[in-house]
Amino acid sequence: MEKVRTNLLMCAGTGCVASGTPKVRAALQEELEKRGLADEIKIVLTGCNGFCAEGPVMLVYPEGIFYQKMTVDEMPKLVEEHFLKGRPYEKLLYKEPEKKHAIPAMNEIPFFKHQVLRVLRNKGMIDPDSLEEYIARDGYMAAAKALTEMTPADIIKVVKDSGLRGRGGAGFPTGLKWEFASKSVADQKYMLCNGDEGDPGAFMDRSVMEADPHSVIEGMIIGARAIGSSKGVIYVRAEYPLAVKRLQKAINDCHEKGLLGEDIFGSGFAFDLEIYLGAGAFVCGEETALMRSIEGKRGMPRPRPPFPAHKGLWDKPSVLNNVETLAQISPIILHGAEWYRTLGTEKSAGTKVFALTGDIKNVGLVEVPMGIPLKTIIYDIGGGMKNKKKKFKSVQMGGPSGGCIPMGLIEIPVTYEDVVKTGAIMGSGGMVVMDEDTCMVSTAKFFLEFTADESCGKCTPCRIGTRVMLDMLTDICEGKGKDGDIEILEDFSRDVIATSLCGLGQTAPNPVLSTIRYFRDEYESHIKDHWCKAGICRNLCSFHINEELCKACGACLRACPQKAIVGEKKVPHRIIQELCIQCRTCYDTCKFGSIEIGPAAVKEKKEPAMK
Amino acid sequence: MVDDLKILVVDDEPIIIRSCESILKSEGYNVQGLLSAKDAILRMEQQPFDLVFTDLKMPEVDGITLIRWIRQKRPDTGVVIITGYPSQDTIKDALELGIIDYVPKPFTPTVLLDVTQRAVSWIREKKAPLEPKEKKEELPPSMLQEIDRVISQYRSKPGSSIPVLQRCQQIVGYLPPEVQKRIAKGLNMTPAEIHGIVSFYSFFTMKPRGDHNIRICLGTACYVKRVEEVLNRIKEDLKIDVGEVTEDKKFSLETVRCLGACGLAPVMVIDEETYGAMNPKKVPDILKEYA
Repeated sequence: MEKVRTNLLMCAGTGCVASGTPKVRAALQEELEKRGLADEIKIVLTGCNGFCAEGPVMLVYPEGIFYQKMTVDEMPKLVEEHFLKGRPYEKLLYKEPEKKHAIPAMNEIPFFKHQVLRVLRNKGMIDPDSLEEYIARDGYMAAAKALTEMTPADIIKVVKDSGLRGRGGAGFPTGLKWEFASKSVADQKYMLCNGDEGDPGAFMDRSVMEADPHSVIEGMIIGARAIGSSKGVIYVRAEYPLAVKRLQKAINDCHEKGLLGEDIFGSGFAFDLEIYLGAGAFVCGEETALMRSIEGKRGMPRPRPPFPAHKGLWDKPSVLNNVETLAQISPIILHGAEWYRTLGTEKSAGTKVFALTGDIKNVGLVEVPMGIPLKTIIYDIGGGMKNKKKKFKSVQMGGPSGGCIPMGLIEIPVTYEDVVKTGAIMGSGGMVVMDEDTCMVSTAKFFLEFTADESCGKCTPCRIGTRVMLDMLTDICEGKGKDGDIEILEDFSRDVIATSLCGLGQTAPNPVLSTIRYFRDEYESHIKDHWCKAGICRNLCSFHINEELCKACGACLRACPQKAIVGEKKVPHRIIQELCIQCRTCYDTCKFGSIEIGPAAVKEKKEPAMK
Repeated sequence: MVDDLKILVVDDEPIIIRSCESILKSEGYNVQGLLSAKDAILRMEQQPFDLVFTDLKMPEVDGITLIRWIRQKRPDTGVVIITGYPSQDTIKDALELGIIDYVPKPFTPTVLLDVTQRAVSWIREKKAPLEPKEKKEELPPSMLQEIDRVISQYRSKPGSSIPVLQRCQQIVGYLPPEVQKRIAKGLNMTPAEIHGIVSFYSFFTMKPRGDHNIRICLGTACYVKRVEEVLNRIKEDLKIDVGEVTEDKKFSLETVRCLGACGLAPVMVIDEETYGAMNPKKVPDILKEYA
């Protein structure tokens, strides 16, 4: 192996690549060559680092200096300052927004400081295409231990004792699932991995598959050993081409090195693994639907029991685990159940990865111990609202099956039980933060649009129930809501939950119920006052300029596409309601917060009701 | 009546050209031969040809480059490749460029004549004046052969309908009824079963896409960041709705359920290129890059 002084771990995750990693890398390489440093300083392209908002990012290893928002133009300076003169190049370091001082070390940046990396242990540290680099970080040690020193019963016991629960959403204990399948008797069993990450707003599985494909494979080998399976399938979304490529390369390498195939580690155990490309159907995240899909049919769920542990893929006993769950397995085997339980709570052990997105400053992937207060994730790691002038309104957890958690509940510890109590679910870990400019009725409508569209159509409550609820929400957003609509929506929700066949229908009303529960006043003001206070539903709002706050700068006047704003220098502007189309442009343009949102009814009057 | 069609054979081996010439001329075709792609381009700048046979591996300018040139400058010319390496990858590249067929090297006179006849009749059909009604577009024989190859490769494997459909969509670009029927027959399934799968999964499309496929992410993060406005701007600029193709077949527009790049929301993808932090103002400049 070549010896290098410094490794530059550049993030080549989807986010950073789109932000310019390839160009920056080329410029950096060229500069290193020009300065004669290319032999001792090596650029390594890693998987997603997680700090997507600041991309392209790079970690200088072993010093641990973290650079962000790198540009082609800055590369000569960076090389000169850091690698020739030996001092971190301040311009590209992370800076605290308020304090303005730069933080060079990655471990001290708040976004990283509160995180504990178990699933993402190799993120941004290794070249995902290199089996050797994975092995160098204790890769396949757990598989070796499981195959040569442990019986299947031992493996199941450790996983059960660890308290690991399925990270795909429902939180079923993984060890228990394995135990059921191991007790089934059959000539063939299947070990399956669910990489059909369908929840909009969640991308941790993608990141794990792209940044650390071997960790998933190792988890599957151990699981297969535990249940006695000789065949495995990883079901991946076709929308994730890079993940597919990396997994395929990893599988090929494993076959070549004898980590997959016959007689692994000389233990006599054989396991074969292949990738199956999903074709885009949200319902295929449901286990029975996913198995139907692998069988080459329409991915529709079927009633359970029989459970897949008895009759799954091709009617053989099967275990389906989520990507993140599988990535947790090898550290548990290696360090033991006790170690795993040092983090998290009694019922929610270990760590969980969250995808932090929306109106938040630090967008990215974060892994935290369970039981951490929601507030810490949003304010300390996430850095609070992106737009400091806007107030936090709600955080959506669990995607289309989840709910919106309001400001009042932001202190709750993040565990399976506590999140469920709020009406949301842990789900796969999407956390979409919304500020006060979000209309909660429209948000509920957005999720129902999703589920109504993705409902497979097999069972009536889901197929028709979601459609009827969506129609009602659309009416409310268009100003055609009626008294009693809220109660009907609640009734309907309960029926759909009670009678749907699979998880999709059983959870589809959650976004509606949780928004009604916490933001009932918003529904009421939509229906009774024809007033969408966030100004999102165009038929239900009007825009007015508060003359006391207006600085008469003319910004809104110039931005208005309808030329509906009148005014001149030093004279507060005014919106001509007859011309206004409620496009919000003025609202977004004004830096002084002088645009106010009123109810739609005001529009009919000649003079705005505002002073 | 074959003499009104002009055929050009491009190969760096003189023996291939000589044998092609003698075989095709004996059947009355008008044939010319050239030893390099560069010469071929120069010759074609002077005079048009109806059909070009070309090798893929040639020194200096290779076959794929030549086909690209033909597609751009002489789009009416049909292309058949002669190749000693009919590997999946090279054929796939060429198929994407719209070749009619291929001749594997070495070939017998019968094979060459067969392929020529098929190519010629296909060209004639294309050249025939369009019926007032919309003319059904036929797939070139090379595509059909590729489809059959994919089917036979997967036939013995249970549950292979989805991979087969994915591969065939890659080859053809979409899944028209005739392709679905062919697959159904090949996999011993009913056309209804195949259609059921095609209509169930959002990945499959029964409409041809444009040269550049625009996908807009409608995930939660993008929604919160008002991707709607970006989508509306694109619809306005291209004058198409979601699921449609522009009149010049340049762009098609689709929406997807979360591309898993939420850190960049709102996200738009054109072909394989990802554009993050989108806003309506960025749309015209980005579209210009593809125009």
